[in-house]
Parts: sequence; C-alpha cells; structure tokens
Amino acid sequence: MSMAGPVSPLSTHVLNTAMGVPGSNMSLSLHRQDPSTEAWSLITTGTTNEDGRCPGLISKQMFVPGVYKMRFETGQYWETIGESSFYPYVEIVFIIKDPGQRYHVPLLLSRFSYSTYRGS
Amino acid sequence: MSAQRLQQLKGHLLHDNKMSAMAGPVSPLSTHVLNTAMGVPGSNMSLSLHRQDPSTEAWSLITTGTTNEDGRCPGLISKQMFVPGVYKMRFETGQYWETIGESSFYPYVEIVFIIKDPGQRYHVPLLLSRFSYSTYRGS
Repeated sequence: MSMAGPVSPLSTHVLNTAMGVPGSNMSLSLHRQDPSTEAWSLITTGTTNEDGRCPGLISKQMFVPGVYKMRFETGQYWETIGESSFYPYVEIVFIIKDPGQRYHVPLLLSRFSYSTYRGS
Repeated sequence: MSAQRLQQLKGHLLHDNKMSAMAGPVSPLSTHVLNTAMGVPGSNMSLSLHRQDPSTEAWSLITTGTTNEDGRCPGLISKQMFVPGVYKMRFETGQYWETIGESSFYPYVEIVFIIKDPGQRYHVPLLLSRFSYSTYRGS
C-alpha cells in the first residue's frame, strides 16, 4: 500500500487474460482534466503489484468530481515479457460525478484485445 | 432468398449501397461499433482517425466520420495514406449516449494501436455499453 490510512475511493485491477494471470508490474498513471483549459495534470503514478492491483491511487480529499484518465503502459508490459502488442498503451477516460461512491476501473488485457468496465 | 437479402449481397459485391467517404478500393482499416447493452449496432456515432508524428509525437487528424446504420464507417483511410505508425481511433461515445437520452461513464473512447505492416487488413471494433467497452484486433 503506497499510503497509510483509508482505502482509495478509486481502484484498478489489471488482468492478463491471455495468460490467465494478474497483470503485475505494469506502470500506470492517473490524471485529472482541468475543466476550463482541458489540460491534463498528473495525480499519481504507480506500478501494479503481484495481484495486478495498485492501492492508494488517490485520497478522498483529492477525489473531486471531474474527468479522469487512467493510463496503462501496456506496450512496456508485454515487451518486458518478450512479446509484442497491438496497443502501445491504454488510456481509459471516465467521468466522476459523485466522489462519494467507490469506483473500480479494471483492465482485462491480451496482446490484441482489452476491455474495461465500471466496477465497485 | 428474400429481396432484402439479395440486395444486401449485391451491396457487398458492388459497394453501390454502402456510404463511403471515398470511391474505389476498400479501406485497409475498418471499425464496427456495437451497442452491446441494447443488442444493436452503434449507429450515428462520430469518430475520427489520427496518426502520430514519430518525431514530435503530435497527433494529426486523418479522417472524421459517422457510423452508418450498421455501426460501420467505410473509407477510413486509403492504401496510400496507410503507412506504418501509431494510430488512434477516437469514438464520441458520450455524445452517442446523450443523443439517446442516457448518461455514460466514458465521455469518449480512444484506442491507440501500432501498424507495423500496412499490407494487412486491420479491424478495430468497439463493443460498448454505458459502463463498459472492449476492443480487439480483427481482420
């Protein structure tokens, strides 16, 4: 856990569906979009653990309504295990309207496909 | 065989009833948007294709389009323009759901992919609901 204390209201989970294993050791980053300038600012960088998770993405205080982006360094991930991939990275852009809820933004990934959904 | 089915087959062969941004050969890159929540094609969705400049990393717009009744968008790119590189398809999913009176978790979807061998056919579909999406490399 990269921070002590309460659980992040936003979580992720990377799964390597091609190999049936967690997507571990994958670099990722969380960004928020400025509503007026539309510029992205970096909130957190992290690396998924053995289980493909990355605790402590954001604190409750920083988790305000807005447009967020999770970026997963998928190309790097596959390269590290000696494979090529169709996608150099995956960016998932989503809207947080009610920061009081829990949000789970997983990534199910193979070299030639991926999917995501809003979980809890 | 029904008259409708016969017309459909004629269309596949002759391309005469397909909306296309260009006459002539089929684009080496295609897409197909499916609204998996409602079991229908994702029709009337705005989308755009971009290529990244390898030195500056800046994106330049290649095509804009709108999916047809079948959720497809023929004529995305010509063979000549389809050079190796990093491309991005952007789908205006937020707008799409808004038009049918629904909200969505994703304001848009961008899929970034690498074309190494432009001699091949590439299919980059989007299977979409309000709270999920998936894509794969098809042919």
